[in-house]
Order: sequence, then C-alpha cells, then structure tokens
Amino acid sequence: MTSTDFRDPAAKGTFARMVPNLRDLGTLFGLVVIFVAFTALNDTFLTVPNLVNILQQSSINACIALGMTMVIISGGIDLSVGPTAALSAVLAASAMVVGVPAPLAILLALAVGVACGVFNGVLIAYAGLQPFIVTLGGLSLYRALALIYTGGNPVFGLPEGFRDFLNGSLFGIPSPVVIVAVISLALWVMLNRSPLGEYILAVGGNEEAARISGVPVARTKIVTYALSGALASVAALILIGRLGAAEPTLGTLWELDAIAAAAIGGASLMGGKGSVVGTLLGAIILGALRNGLTLMNVQAFYQLLATGIIIIVAMLIDRATRGR
Amino acid sequence: MPDQPSRLKLAGISKSFPGVRALDNVTFEVRPGEVHGLLGENGAGKSTLLNTLSAVFKADEGHIEIDGRPVEIRSPLEARAAGIAMIHQELQHVPHLTVAQNMFLGRPLKQASGLLVDRRGQEQRAREVLRDLDPTIDPKTPIRDLKVSQQQVVEIARALLENARVIAMDEPTSSLTPAEFDRLAVLIEQLAARGVSIIYVSHKMDEVFRVCDRATILRDGKFVDTVNMADMNEASIVARMVGREIVHQTHTSHERSDALLEVSDLGREKAVQGATFTLRRGEVLGISGLVGSGRTELLRLIAGIDRPTSGSIRVSGRSLPLHDPRAAIRAGIGLVPEDRKGHGIIRERSVAANMALPSMGRFSRYGLVSHRQRHRVAMKVMEDLRLRPLDVTRPIGKFSGGNQQKAIIGRWIAAGTEILLFDEPTRGIDVGAKSEIYALIERLAQEGKAIVVVSSEMLEIMRVSDRVMVMREGRLVATLERDQISEAAIAAHAIPQSQRSVHDASRPDRQDIIQ
Repeated sequence: MTSTDFRDPAAKGTFARMVPNLRDLGTLFGLVVIFVAFTALNDTFLTVPNLVNILQQSSINACIALGMTMVIISGGIDLSVGPTAALSAVLAASAMVVGVPAPLAILLALAVGVACGVFNGVLIAYAGLQPFIVTLGGLSLYRALALIYTGGNPVFGLPEGFRDFLNGSLFGIPSPVVIVAVISLALWVMLNRSPLGEYILAVGGNEEAARISGVPVARTKIVTYALSGALASVAALILIGRLGAAEPTLGTLWELDAIAAAAIGGASLMGGKGSVVGTLLGAIILGALRNGLTLMNVQAFYQLLATGIIIIVAMLIDRATRGR
Repeated sequence: MPDQPSRLKLAGISKSFPGVRALDNVTFEVRPGEVHGLLGENGAGKSTLLNTLSAVFKADEGHIEIDGRPVEIRSPLEARAAGIAMIHQELQHVPHLTVAQNMFLGRPLKQASGLLVDRRGQEQRAREVLRDLDPTIDPKTPIRDLKVSQQQVVEIARALLENARVIAMDEPTSSLTPAEFDRLAVLIEQLAARGVSIIYVSHKMDEVFRVCDRATILRDGKFVDTVNMADMNEASIVARMVGREIVHQTHTSHERSDALLEVSDLGREKAVQGATFTLRRGEVLGISGLVGSGRTELLRLIAGIDRPTSGSIRVSGRSLPLHDPRAAIRAGIGLVPEDRKGHGIIRERSVAANMALPSMGRFSRYGLVSHRQRHRVAMKVMEDLRLRPLDVTRPIGKFSGGNQQKAIIGRWIAAGTEILLFDEPTRGIDVGAKSEIYALIERLAQEGKAIVVVSSEMLEIMRVSDRVMVMREGRLVATLERDQISEAAIAAHAIPQSQRSVHDASRPDRQDIIQ
C-alpha cells in the first residue's frame, strides 16, 4: 500500500474530507454575521477579554450539545441531560464535602452520567421505547432523585483545589474552554474517523439498513446515550466549579439550549446528519447572541425573543439552501 | 380504431432540470378506450411525463389537449378535475381510514347541513363503484386490512368516482402476484371497454404485451416511437428502449462442490415453516412463489435479521448462532434486500461508507478508519462492477437504482461474503442494468460463491437459477432441478388450490407471450 500514489482517485476524496463541509461553512458565516453586527453596535464586543468570555459562557452548552449531537445523529433525542447533570453534580459534591478526593469525585460524577445514559439507552435499544418518551421519563426521574437525595437543598463547601482547577486557565484560556476543546477534538475523531462514528451515522441514516449491514445497532445507540450522560456530568462539574455549590435544580432547560445548538449546527432531528464543528459553532452563536445583547443592556425577555428568532431563521436558511 | 380523435394529447412537451433535459419535444397521444403503454429505461422520462400530465411540475414547452381542446392544468387537483387520474407505484392513502373515507378523501360527501360528513352516503357510493370492480371489498374496512391488490382496486374505484377518463398506472404490478396481475388485466380490459383510456407504465414486457394496445417508447427524454403491440415482439421493443440489441444470454451452469449452507427445519411462526435445504458453492438457487409466501422472511431468518422459532443453520458444517446479523456476516452470509431504499442504502452516506459498513474491522487500524484504504477498495469494486459515476465520495442516494443495487452487492464483495442472498435483485431496475446484474450473479457463482435469488419474475428465476425451490404459504413445497424448471411447473406449485382456477384460465395466452 504505497502512500505516494496521487493518481489514485481516492486521494481526491481524502483531501476533500479535510475541507470543512459546506453546511459548517454556512454556520460559520452565520456566526460571522452576528459578530459583525455586534461589533458595529458595540465597542466592547470585539475585544479579547469579551471573546474569551463568550467562549467560556458557551462552554457548558457546547459540552451538553456535543453529546446531544451524537444522540441526534443516531436518530434519537436526550431530554434528560439537565437532570442527569444535576444528579451527578449533587452526588459528586456531597462526596467531596465528606472528604472524597476530587479526582475520585469527578470519576463518580462521570459514572453517574454514564449510568443515567445507559439506563435511557437500554430502554430505547432493547425495550424498543421511543427516545423522546424514555428521556422525558428520565428528565423527571433523575431530577427527582437529585431533589430527594438533597432534600431540595444545595450542597455547599466544595474544596478549593477542585474549584481552582475548573476556574483556572491554560495559556490564558479558561479551563472549561480547554476541556470542551479537548472533548470536541476527541468526538470529531470518533465521529469522522472511527468505526463507532460510522455506525452512529449509519444507524441514524437508516437503522434497518445498518442492521442488515452488520452494525451493532443496540450497542451503538446505548453508547450515544452514555456519551450524552457523561458530557452532561462534565458540564455539571464545570458549573459547580464556577459556583462553588451544587444545586439539585441546576441544568433546568439545558436540553433545549443543546438541541438548539445542534440544530443550528446542522444536526437533523431525523437522524443521520450532524457535525461536531457545526454544533460548536451553534453553541457559540447562541453564546455570542446573549453576550452581545447583554452588553447592549437588552432586557432578558428580548434575549429570549432573539434566541427564538435565530433558531427559526437558521432552520429556514438550512431548508432553503439544502433544496428538497 | 385508426382515425379516432385522441382522448389525450401531450404535444411537444419539453422539460429541463438543472443540467438535465428530462423531456425533449415529446408528443404522446392516447385514444379513447385504449390501453397505451409508456415504455423506456429508468431515466428515459416516463415519470417526468406523467408528472407533467398531473401538473406536479410545469412543462417548459408544449401543451396538453383533452378531446382535441387545449387545456391548462396547473395543479394535481386540476388534473383530477380534468379527468386524469394517477395511480402511483406506492399507493397513496391513509392506512387507518376506511375504504370509503379514502375514496372521498379531500372532497367528502356532506350531509344536508353542509357541516358533517355523510358517511353512509359515502359508503353507499363507494359500494356502487366497487361492485363492478371487486364486490368483496367492504367500504367500511380500514384500508390497511386489504391486500395490496385490493388497495389498488380502491384507487381505481376512486378514479372512476371522479369520472376519470384517463387513468395512468405507474408500475401497478410491482407488488402483485401473477394471479392478481391477471385480475388487474381483466379489470383494465373492462375499463377500456367502458371508454376509459389507460396509460400503463411497466418494466415487465410480458405484462405490457398482455394489456396494451399500443405503446409509446421514450429514450433519454426523447420520443422514439409509438407502436401497435400486435406488430411487435419483446426484442424489437427492448431494442427501441435501449437503442441497441440486447443479447439475451441464457443460463450457464457452474461446477458445484461441497455444501456451504445447510438450513434445517428453519421456521418463524406461520410465515416460514420447516424450511430445509442445502446450498453448494457455485450454485444459484432460485426461490419462487407468490408475494407473501414467506420468501423474504426465509432470507431474513438466514441472515439473522429476524428470530426463528425453530430450526438451525450450519455454514461449512459449523452451527450458526441464530438472530444475530453480525454472526451471520462473520460466517460469510450477506443479504441484498428487496426494499433498496428502506433496507439497503444509507442515502446521505458515500458509496465508500455504504460499502465498507459490514467490514469496518478490515478498514480500521488502531481503532481508526483508514479512509484511504476504504476508498481504494470501494474504487476497485466500483470499477469492477462498472458503477457510474465513478465517485466513491458521492452520496449513494444520488445514484440510479441500478447503480445503488450494484453498490449494495459491492458491499458484500468488499466484505468477502461467500453466501449471497438476493431478494428481488432487479426490482425497479431498468433493462440494461438488469442484464448486468444477471451477469454479475452468474460471475459470482463462477467464482465459487453460493447464491440464493428470490424473485417474483418468472423470467428472472429461469434466467439465473441452477435449481428452483417453490414456496407456498410458508413452506418449501417443491424443488425443481435445472431440466424441470418451467413457468408452468413453478406456477403449479406456487399457487394455492383456492386461487388456481383464476390463474389457469389466463394461462394459455401468457405462455404465448413469454414463449
């Protein structure tokens, strides 16, 4: 297998694969438009501290949305991410408060997230229940567990070391941003370069064809929900690191922001389509929008309005450019 | 009826899509009470012409006349109002509504109040129309409880209810059994006798010869000829369709050797019962039988897609875990499913990705997929199977049906599959690609692979098989060796006693045609 044979027509395909796809360029263009608009309207928007700020503010949503993207590509949906985050947050926080070392508590949080995801995934893949309903059940279930465990009270007193780690920075870039960047890279490789990624795309594209082609359909689905759960836990850790406390009510409506980011980034709720880069850009678009409107002292109600409009406009553009 | 005015005339129709001239100055005339075939390979422009007629899209040039008067049809609704009805390949109805409700869908009969639907009146009218077509259909049954052939009758009844004068049928027999086709043919004759004009689109030559008075042939969007069927034979029609003579190859047998696949007592509830057979290397085993006789189900059981309720499978003497598609694939079994769109391709993914799916392990190193290697293998298979266009990164959904089918076969070639199960391998594929698929099946057998072909097309079964097994109501009822294979022999075993008389009545003329 020589690697210098550029006459091989396949070489073109390999090269084409390196270029970001058209849909991602479209999302990037949308982001640029928003940046240009806010830069024109506000002096402080396009400054390094504010840009870093946007990334940091987007990191939690990006983290959730990346897991959501994998689930959506496989043809499912995960509505239970917020409560999953809350449950792993209060359990990990309680563990740290009673003296469990932070790294172990982090592992505990991840394990809780994976467990919630696997529970969802098993019901969907083996019991054949609908993802929307299963994770809607999970949404109540995991929230209830978090509330029951804490009696509804926040868990205070997280150790300094844990907080410093998550509030620190690497070469001036906040830790949460670095964490999300590393996760993104790993997921990009997984989706575009690993058999698992191929399976996720196949299951979402045509489940029956995938089964006939020997794709381990059930396992693939479960893995996506487990990933989504684990990333919900990561998001929870970032949040409690910042706040210094774990509220059992944290993560309310996270699932909707995450779905919005994934959809803006080109993920299709019908399954089979979606990209890591697109979802990241989608999360940044939502973050930049909120940041810019806040800088301009626009009331929160109007921010919500703008978010709604952006989502719908993005979908309309998506529809128009894709043709039918 | 030489000098009759035409009932319907499409004059000088042209239609372009970006990059394609789908129809180029096509003229098409149908006389009153005539059954007029519309023939051509896939992509010849048949569907585009039908869609122009029903105003799914607008022609760039040309006009439509009904009974000599130019009419303008701007929407599918106006087409229906003008007396033109379409019966699509995939029947269009709401499954859980009743027959009568479906027939009045979109323009219900109202009660005197003008507010509520007059259900009883609808059922009454539906019953009247259905009486002539198929009196066994009860207007009150939900349409999903009917057989596909009966659902089709309901569509025809609906067209008659709307006083259709032209009924266009697009591949009406794609899911009908031979006996059901016979009934449809009789029905078409009756309609024609009443003065209704029928446009009949089909790939199946024997059907076209059976039902059509005349036929118009299209090729590459251009009008080729309108012919009287009485003056034609199959070869002369096909030659006009493809623009060249197709050499009709006959079957060649291959060396057989050791048994590769042994199926014993395999069953799933009523669908498949006690299936036992052996398949050797280099052998092509045809499985014939009516739609619903359990052929597809049998293949799915062997491929591990569905869970058998009895039996066992051995590959090269080793017992195969059942209901485990991955184990079946590892053992060298590959299924080329009947429903290409629903069960075969993953539309948005590239040909390379589609081909590599069963053998991801082979294309991965250190847990990562080697795109280079995958493209190289896919390219080799594409060249080998003459898949066009030759672009491994193109989404498979953008290829023609024949090329998609080649890619699905290529999927198993790339995986090194030894036992190939074909379910209706040439469904919806045009004549040219069909003979390529047959040649490919033959070649795979020559290379020592073991092949099962399930098909509803008699000619296809007879063309490819070394041996034919006939299924009836879930059971393998007969095995015909090469010298015993004939349409009559297959039909005799395939058709349940209760349906036999209908089929036999129409046998002689079909035999003439197939010849």
